[in-house]
Formats: sequence, structure tokens, C-alpha cells
Amino acid sequence: MIESSYHIKNKFPKKNRIILIMDMFVSVNLRLCDMMKNSYLSMIVLYCLHKINGERTIYSILHLLNGKKSSQTIQDAHIFNLTTFFSTFPLLKRAELDMHIDILNKQGFVSTNAEQSYCVTSVGLKQLEEYFKPNPIPANLNGWKFHNLTDLFWERLSLAIQVISHLKNRNSKYLPIQKSKEHHKWLKGYLYKCKLSKDELAEKLYDELVACLETMDGLDPSIFVKRVTGYQIIGLTEAQAADQFDMDEEAYHIQFLSILHYMLEKVGTKQGDFPLLSCMIEDKKRATPLTESSNRTFNLLQMGYRLEEIAQMRKLKKNTIEDHLVEIALNIPNFDISAFVNIDKQKEIKMAINSVSSKQLKYIRELVPDVDYFEIRLVLAKGGEKK
Amino acid sequence: MKLEEHLKKYFNYTTFRTGQKEVISSILEGNHTIAMLPTGTGKSLCYQLSGYLLKGQVIIISPLLSLMQDQTEQLMMNGEKRVIAFNSFLTPQERKQALSQLNTYKFIFLSPEMLKSDFILNRLRELQIALFVIDEAHCISQWGYDFRPDYLKLGDFRRKLGNPLTLALTATATPEVKEELISSLSLKNWNEYIYSVDRPNIVLAVEVIDSYHDKSDRLVELVQNLEGPGIVYFSSKKMAEKMTIHLKQNGIDRVMAYHGGMEQENRVLIQQQFLHDQLDVICATSAFGMGINKENIRYVIHFHMPLQLESYLQEIGRAGRDGMKSIALLLYSPGDEQLPFQLAEGELPSEAQLDFVYHLLEEKNNSINDLGELENELISLSGLTEVQWRVVADYLFGNTKEPMQQRYVQLKVFINERLQVKRKKINDMLIWTQAQLNGCRRKNILKYFKEDKTIEIDDCCDQCGIDLTVFYPKTKNHKTADNFFDWKKHLAKILLVSERG
Repeated sequence: MIESSYHIKNKFPKKNRIILIMDMFVSVNLRLCDMMKNSYLSMIVLYCLHKINGERTIYSILHLLNGKKSSQTIQDAHIFNLTTFFSTFPLLKRAELDMHIDILNKQGFVSTNAEQSYCVTSVGLKQLEEYFKPNPIPANLNGWKFHNLTDLFWERLSLAIQVISHLKNRNSKYLPIQKSKEHHKWLKGYLYKCKLSKDELAEKLYDELVACLETMDGLDPSIFVKRVTGYQIIGLTEAQAADQFDMDEEAYHIQFLSILHYMLEKVGTKQGDFPLLSCMIEDKKRATPLTESSNRTFNLLQMGYRLEEIAQMRKLKKNTIEDHLVEIALNIPNFDISAFVNIDKQKEIKMAINSVSSKQLKYIRELVPDVDYFEIRLVLAKGGEKK
Repeated sequence: MKLEEHLKKYFNYTTFRTGQKEVISSILEGNHTIAMLPTGTGKSLCYQLSGYLLKGQVIIISPLLSLMQDQTEQLMMNGEKRVIAFNSFLTPQERKQALSQLNTYKFIFLSPEMLKSDFILNRLRELQIALFVIDEAHCISQWGYDFRPDYLKLGDFRRKLGNPLTLALTATATPEVKEELISSLSLKNWNEYIYSVDRPNIVLAVEVIDSYHDKSDRLVELVQNLEGPGIVYFSSKKMAEKMTIHLKQNGIDRVMAYHGGMEQENRVLIQQQFLHDQLDVICATSAFGMGINKENIRYVIHFHMPLQLESYLQEIGRAGRDGMKSIALLLYSPGDEQLPFQLAEGELPSEAQLDFVYHLLEEKNNSINDLGELENELISLSGLTEVQWRVVADYLFGNTKEPMQQRYVQLKVFINERLQVKRKKINDMLIWTQAQLNGCRRKNILKYFKEDKTIEIDDCCDQCGIDLTVFYPKTKNHKTADNFFDWKKHLAKILLVSERG
């Protein structure tokens, strides 16, 4: 485990050996407490393993948690009902995931069924139930819907609160908590657009925040508020806050994300009630949750181009465009796939899907040999998730 | 207007600190100026205020990205928007835009490698340069601990700019370094303002402790007892983190680690929490402290010894900026010097790495037309750091008149010399640490900078005799985290309450 976290690509590690050894000594201790602390993430991994049911490798979970924007990952997230976790741990490393799997395996919660593929054991299932019963995964968590807004919303909101707090106190000498020049530029425009006096602005923002957070179910607003910085009050880091709530960092992280997702949802659906908050992400909201590239394909489709034409126009492989189509089928509720799979074929495929216990394409295709994988994927995407 | 009035107008201070007024007056009278002011006495104000009182642009050469970042931030915090820093953080687009409107800036920061760019030089020549500032001017010395090969180009660069009015700033320079500076800039007339590196209100002490284990126990004891706030310096990120956990386990709540490996948002938060007294102790690497203008730091403890006395002075200089008594404590265990020796070696490319790069280049048949493409490959294969690579590239590709093999030999000689310099610095540090043999620590550290100790100080150093309990507070002041938290009240404190009522 320790070895794997010290991939030394460097061909000449020798000279640094002593330092490395010293660091390792330290890291063993750190890692041990990590292992104890990381149990929440282990449980999330266990939950994901349970959902994918041995039909994907463990690294599909890595891609999911990292929020990799590949069609495969996006499809898997939908097929296996794991969209909530999409992009919730963007910095998780392969070696860390291996470590969690290792811990789960040693405890008998999972057993391997193929290379890099695991199934949850009955002990594991019981563990899942016991673990999440007292502290369930927050219902507001929605990684897929908000993954491209979450960080931005927090960065802008935290900066706005800090700046408005200093404006209220008429203090102009302080260090902005967010360093990105883009955010600074955005804030300037934002303050200008609000057309409110310094005191009004602070008051209105306070009212909106309270109104938004007050009605939240099952989540403690303090989890969010402790992170906020203002005049002579500096917010806590994630680790500090987790510490104060006596949670492990990953558990805290999920709760914090859930609050942001809750806010995004609420503010997005009731823009009239939250003009200041909803305005913070107004410019970044896209009409569809598609990736940039898929969105372009979608636009061309709507203009009446055929799949092959689009591939040619965009100088992309046909496969890639097919991936886009699957992504579109997953995300655009009334997207009609019959232009690509006729109704009869769709019925045939649906029957095959229902009679097979697996979501692996090759088993489905064995029952309907005359269709291709693309057609199965489209129907899977459209037919959604088997209940 | 008197200088003090300008100071009030631009910075809202009423009095100058030691040396500032003299240096600024010298510049305003049109003299090239060399200023050696001890750490923590506001060196940057010298060029900032001068800049406001002179017509034209101020160019500042600054060797460290973090330092540059910090100084630009400080200027901006002070309401100055006409600031630009040319360094690797700038995207090509930002850079292009900044270069096209160069005359709209007042303060232009350059990292040393920018001195190589003829394009930037030519753009700068179109400006009216009011002042040319060399920050951390000791980096020009090959015998200094912090030599930057790019600084050797300063003289030439300055000449091509038409020898503008120049200010060289440093906190630590021996007379030899000063001579080198003068000759490489080919200065004929100049004023110099050299102030003692001594900070009389900082008590110097070294504790020799048998083992690593005892050392961490001792650290807990010290942090529990000393009056804060304080900084503990470590040579490794992991150790800083580990000891933070150790201190917390021993009941010290308001402590956090700080190092360059942390996310930027967290770094800002920790730094600001410390400045606003929400934390009592920071366990840090040398990444912490640059531009930390916290007046009331009462102690600086070194868990590991630094690589040279210059750095040591710089780091302990963060204590007692308010002029109140403070203490600098170095914890030494026999064998501790091994780590600095390792680190010093690690800063330079190894022989094996050099051979590797050289042979790879030979293999490519010396056909290096596109260095850019090869560069990344070479860096990743050889495992050189960016700074190391720059030195190597400078030698191997800088002067193409001589054959490659000769340049390669020169590079090896150079690296060997650098290693000797660094080893000597560590030895000097070590000898000072073990000063039981030869008396007063203040006298010895001043001697190293070729100064005499002229004043007698009460509580001077452990050798002269000190009572550590002077630094213990009357009442235990380690606050524990507040358990009661009302989120609405907290939010109201941030957004509804104003100090103005």
C-alpha cells in the first residue's frame, strides 16, 4: 500500500532515499489513522460496489467519484443508479481506492469475482444497512445534476459573503479568500448589477441565506455556516470543520456538498425568492446537463444532420458520436431514439434486458444477436434503469 | 510635503521604521542605493513609497514566486490596481494583454527568468523607468546560499535599459556579497544603508535534546507553556502534519499545519486564522511566513535546523515585530544535520541525472532544434525539478559557441561548487548550534555577518543565561474551541453587525 503511493517515475531515487524513508515512517502513522478515519468513504465504495453488482471493474467507481466525463462513466452512473455520487470525490486516487477495496476485502464485506471486480457479500450487505441506517446518504446529494456548478457556486458565494461583510464594515484592506482573478472580476460585475446599497446588500443576502437554509431537512446549516469568512471572522477549512463536528472528513464532505446541492436546487427552482443567490450562477447554467461535445452533436442532430454526417463534419469517429447519442438519450427526457433503433428492435431488446439478470451488454446481445451494441446501449439509456 | 505626510497619505502610517526614511530620501535625491534592512522591518515600503513620488514605472526583480505574489497582493490590498507580475502563473493570453498595455501599470514585477526575454526587454525600453529594484539582491552572489544563475544577467539587463535609477534590497548580505553586487551592476556611485541584522528583542536559544522522541515531548511541553502566538518550523511537510496531530492529541486545540502542498483555499484560510488570532500555533515549512505581517508573534521554534544561518535569521525574524520580547528556540538532536545535507544535495541535480541528460542529448545527435518538445521529456525522464532543469538548460543550451562536451564539464564543475558552498553553510549553522564551546550566540551570529555585537542585552541568549519562565504567561492562555454554535447568530455577525454600529 505504501509502496503504491510512492510511484517513483524518477529513475534516480537513490539520493533521496533517506528522506523518503523518513517520510514513509511518518506516512505509516498517518495512513493508519487514515484507514480508521476513511471508513465513510469505504462505505460509499461498498455502496457503489453493491450497485454495480460485479458488472464493472472497481475503476468504474473511481471514474464515477472523480466525475470523469466519458460516455461510459456517465452511462454507468445512470444504469446503476449512482448519479448522486458523480464527481463527489474529484481528487480520489487509484491507490486510495485500492486501499479501500483492500480494507473491505479483509473485513469480508466483498469477495472478488473477476479481475478488478468485486461482489458485496451478505456480511457486506448487512454492514451497509447498519452503517447507513443511522446516518443515511443525504437525499439532497445530486452530483450529476450539479457537478459543474458546485465548486463555482461555493467559490463565488464564499467570496461574495466575505466582500459584502467587509463592505458593510467599510473595510477595504483584506485578503480575498478566493484568489482567482476571474472570480474577482465576476464579483465586481455582480455587485454592480445588484444595484443595492452596501447595507441593503448585506441584509438581503443574510435574509436569503437564512430563508434558504432554514427549511432544509435532515442537514445542519452549521455545517455550511462554519466555513464562511467575513470581517474579522475567518471560516474553517473542511478538515477543521469535520473535526469540530466530530465527523470523518469524507462524511463531512458529503454533507457539505449536499447542502450546496440543496441550495442550488432550491435557488434554481425559486429564483424569484432568491434573487441574490440565484444570480450567482445565472451565467453558467446550461439548458442541458450534456458535456460540451455532446451538446454540439445534439445541436447538429436537431438541425437534421445524420449521425454519419455529424461524424464527418466534426472530424470525429462514428463511435464517439454514438457515445454522444447515448449520453443525449440518458439526459434529454423526450429524446426519440426510434430514428436509430426502430420500434420493433426496441421491443426485442427490452425483452432481452428483462430476461437477463445482468447489465453487461454481451449477455444481452447473446439473446438478440441481430442488433449491435450501440442499439442496446441506446435502449438501455432510454429504458432507463431496471428497477 | 514632508515624507511623513506622504507616508500618511499613501499608507496611513505615521512614522517610518528604521532605515526606511534614509533609503527613500537617497532614492528621491537620485542616488543608486543599496539597502540592507533586517527581516520584518518593511523593506518593500522603500520602493513602494519612492515609486509613488517618482514619475514613471517601478520595475521589481523578485526571485520567488510566492514572494512576488505576496507583494502584489499587498499592493492591491492597499488599493493599488496598477500592478502586474510577469511569472509562470500568467497565461500566454494574460501576458500578451499585459505587455500591450505596459504603460498603464505603476509596479511591474519580473521573475528572474524573464530577464532572458528580449521581447520583454524591448517593451520595457519603451517605458519611462523611474526605479529599478532588485529584491533579495543577495541572490546575485555565487557564494550566497540562494544563488540564482539568472541574477547574473541583471547587470546586462540593466545596462540595456539605460542604467535606470537602482535600488538593491536584501536582509542578509556579507560584505563579500555586497562587493559582488556592486561589481556585477557596475555601479560607480551609490549610497549604502547597512543596518545590523540583529534583532535585540529576540532571545536566542538552542536546546540539545538526546532523541527524536524526547524532542517531540519537549515540543509539546514548550507549546503548552510558552506565551503565544508562535510558529514551529519543520523541514518536511509530513513532519509538520504529524506534529500538528501530536500537539492536538496533547490537548492543544488551536494549532494547524501549513505547507506548500496544501490547497490554496486552505492555505489562505489557515494564514488568515492565524493573523486574526483564531489559531495560537502554526506548524509550518519554510513556505509559511513570507509577508506574514503579524506583529505579536512571541516565539519561533525550529524543530529541524535550517540549511543556513541566513534562513534562520529570516525565519526567527518573524517574531516580535511589535518590539516586545520574544524567543527563538532551536531544538537540536545529534545527527540532525544529516537532513540538511540530504536536502542540500537534493536541491541540485545528481551526477547520474546529469549523465542521463547528456547521453540522451548525444543520442539525439545534438540535433536540438525544438527544445520545447524535448524539454518535457527530459524533465520527466531525468526527474529534475523545474529549478534544477533551468540550471542544466542554461549551461547546456545557453552558450552555443562552445562544444557540448565542454559545456557539460563546466556544468559539473559548477554544481560541485554549489554543493561545497551549501555544505559549508550547513557546517556554519551546525557550529553555531553547538556554540557551547565559544560563547554568546548573538555575538557569533553577528560575527558570521561580519558585525560586532555592540550593545549589551538582558536575556540575550542561552549562553549568556536566560530564564525561560519569563516567556510563560501568567495564566494559561490556550483557548479551547467554542462548543456552542448558533448558525443564525454567526451569520448575522458576518453580515448584519457593523463595527460602525
